[in-house]
Amino acid sequence: MKVGLFIPCYINQLYPQVGIATVEVLEKLNVEIVYPTGQTCCGQPMANSGYENESVGACNNFVQNFKEFDYIVTPSGSCAYHVKKHYNILEQTPEVVKVRDNVYELCDFIVNVLKIKDLGASFPAKVGVHKSCHGLRGLRLGSCSEVVGPYFSSIDDLLKEVKGVELMELKRKDECCGFGGTFAVTEEAVSVKMGKDKIQDHLDSGVEVITATDTSCLMHLEGLVNRNKQPLKILHVAEILNSQL
Amino acid sequence: MSHSKLASIFNKDEKKVDWHDKALWFVRHKRDLSVHQVKGWESLRDLGHGIKAHMLSNLDSYLQEFEKNAQANGVEVHWAANGEEHNQIVHKILKENNAKKIVKSKSMLTEECHLNPYLEADGMEVIDTDLGERIVQLAKEPPSHIVLPAIHKNKHEVDELFQEHLGTEPCDGDPQYLTHEARKHLREKFITADAAITGVNFAIAETGGFVVCTNEGNADMGAHLAPVHIACMGVEKIIPKQEHLGVFLRLLARSATGQPITTYSSHFRKPKDGRKMHIVIVDNGRSEQLSRPDFRASLHCIRCGACMNTCPIYRRSGGHSYDATIPGPIGSILSPGKDLTKHSSLPFASTLCGSCSNVCPVKIDIHSQLYKWRQIITKETPQPFVKKASMKMMGTMFSKPSQFERVGKLARWSLRTLPKSVINAKPNTWGKERDLPKGPKQSFDEWYAEKRKQE
Amino acid sequence: MGSREKILGQIKANKPESLELPAIDLGLFDEGLDLLQEFTKKVEVVGGNVIQIASENEVQAKMTELFPDAKVKYSTLDETEAFNTLSIEAIQKPHDLEDLDILILKSDIAVAENGAVWLDDSKIPMRVLPFITKHLVFVLEEKSILGYMHEAYANIDDFGFGVFISGPSKTADIEQSLVIGAHGALSLTVFVKK
Repeated sequence: MKVGLFIPCYINQLYPQVGIATVEVLEKLNVEIVYPTGQTCCGQPMANSGYENESVGACNNFVQNFKEFDYIVTPSGSCAYHVKKHYNILEQTPEVVKVRDNVYELCDFIVNVLKIKDLGASFPAKVGVHKSCHGLRGLRLGSCSEVVGPYFSSIDDLLKEVKGVELMELKRKDECCGFGGTFAVTEEAVSVKMGKDKIQDHLDSGVEVITATDTSCLMHLEGLVNRNKQPLKILHVAEILNSQL
Repeated sequence: MSHSKLASIFNKDEKKVDWHDKALWFVRHKRDLSVHQVKGWESLRDLGHGIKAHMLSNLDSYLQEFEKNAQANGVEVHWAANGEEHNQIVHKILKENNAKKIVKSKSMLTEECHLNPYLEADGMEVIDTDLGERIVQLAKEPPSHIVLPAIHKNKHEVDELFQEHLGTEPCDGDPQYLTHEARKHLREKFITADAAITGVNFAIAETGGFVVCTNEGNADMGAHLAPVHIACMGVEKIIPKQEHLGVFLRLLARSATGQPITTYSSHFRKPKDGRKMHIVIVDNGRSEQLSRPDFRASLHCIRCGACMNTCPIYRRSGGHSYDATIPGPIGSILSPGKDLTKHSSLPFASTLCGSCSNVCPVKIDIHSQLYKWRQIITKETPQPFVKKASMKMMGTMFSKPSQFERVGKLARWSLRTLPKSVINAKPNTWGKERDLPKGPKQSFDEWYAEKRKQE
Repeated sequence: MGSREKILGQIKANKPESLELPAIDLGLFDEGLDLLQEFTKKVEVVGGNVIQIASENEVQAKMTELFPDAKVKYSTLDETEAFNTLSIEAIQKPHDLEDLDILILKSDIAVAENGAVWLDDSKIPMRVLPFITKHLVFVLEEKSILGYMHEAYANIDDFGFGVFISGPSKTADIEQSLVIGAHGALSLTVFVKK
């Protein structure tokens, strides 16, 4: 099994610890990963802003870097979703189709490909899961509150097996945090309000640590938590899964 | 003004935002409780989608079938290519019947065509009879929601409005008292009306009949008391057969308010002897929307408002921030088709979270259409130079790994080294209320290279 | 060219290739409901009230007991001449019905899943009646209760006007506070004959 690791651009530069935790978690599971060093970004920032054309170079670069892998794993539901959903702008060569078919968000990969739930991690804390929208509603990594059907969630599956983790129930299970890429800046007022409300829901539910599959949402929430000096810790799910506290 | 500007004004009053958000979340929550009880709900949505898609692909024949059957029922059918023609037709019918006092039940189409001011200009009195619509009419405002037109007003504002216009007693915003005063006031209008105008929820090709859904009973009070009934409908309101009502009436109210069905689902086919019934079929841009493969599914909409109730942006920016007849997610994919420049900010008033598409009873891929409108808007409407240039720069940077590395290094250095006052200075909108990450010394790339060396 | 031709022409030119009409599979929805129980529950949810009776003759007495102050009354049940205080034939304008306190109508289709009762011209002597009355009463037999809307429509054919009514009229347009009695009936009672 050849597994390529994709580390989103902002994690690479701003949250390397999330990338490192991802590598360590996968290595513990004896997955041999390759990190292609020519990788940059999936192209989403331009495309979601309405500049899909400007993202073609990034998309092609992604395909070139990952075309030979059986699986592409990334600690981001949003980037995986972008590759799956929006790489329809590229010519659908066998390489492009393969890349789109084989890209996985980290938890999804562990639970549904490796078929593992217990990673032997321990992390004693009251944890609130932020269900990042692109992973949840785009990739269907869990059941959505709007949709009628049985409950499931790959991130919950993994966290439930972490020793010491107490998963806290939120009032609004899967409301968006308000990050939304350039939305965070172009619709600053609403974005900030959404983030504040999301954080309040976690606080009201007794959460000590907010986690998610996506660092982009967490960067937005962390920015608010730090500015407002709120008693919350923000960690990517890979960091919890890699924890031995 | 753009959505973001209007939304930031709305957000100046945080208490009001909280109140608005909670009021609409409550409706979304009622919707959840209701639909989770229905066995086969998702299949019902699939059916709703499939029937509407089939209808659109045969719309011209269904419209003709509907017209033929409606005429056989004794109903007069009119066709309007646009809002102006719609208003002229309605005006002409009213004139011919010597109608001066008109009662109107909820119709987003007549809002879209701006019918009221058109008729009022000729001295006619048009009274909106849905309580929420009457409230916004008295306040001289457009509805801010398609199902809950006055959801942006609190009870104290309604209290004051009624004192001023209906001469009610101050009541500390007692909804019971205010509703009963409105009932008395509007009862008088129903009794004396010369004509009634209603919208249409569904028009059935097979029978030539149409269905109007209300909770208050205002459409029926108007239509059965006045000698003339004019029903106005967009071309997309057609459904093929009566049996399809079984699907749509199960979907509509549950999605809208969580009720299992609206109080009244009135099926009009034939006018009573001596009465007149007219139907005005309106295009006004719909056939053009039908020509756009990426956006034609927006015409499936049955106007339940569920996408507004669930939208975290709508709930925190209010319907008026959209500056469009239909606000919220569905409005943001319909409006650009009518006036791309005027509505160019709307598809960006979304995080693309996808909740709208999940609640939509006829499975319109709303968030995907928002994404697609963005691609068109950046090409076809003027964009700020800075946005265009920075997107181009990013595009180039991300296609060349070496450039990405250099820029990343610089960014991390700045975040680490520069004082907060510089980082959070005015051009950095992010930093107004949020801290930026700290800027680590080592990127993941660098860590990985080091690790490889050690191995 | 008139607007009719223009609109139809544009639609014809712009519509996609014909898509198939999906068939409705009723098996997807059936939960094996206890129809009377579900109907009763739903009528109550929407603000109405269900009373079981053994015979239609009980209706008048029950109504007099429930609304002792009612003055203007009209019923379409058999042998209710004594109960009725107005004659429909004598009504000049529908507006003369303004003071109607109680209206009793028969129905032979009701829906368990949403508490709705179907009426059409054959059951309503004048269309505005069920909307203008203060208190609305339906009388139906238990066997008239169907499970779902799909089944109801399969039993509805020709009519000039028809309506499903589920509960008394209501609005929540002022701050989402539910108020019963908007423009239509202030209360709704359904008598079900076992």
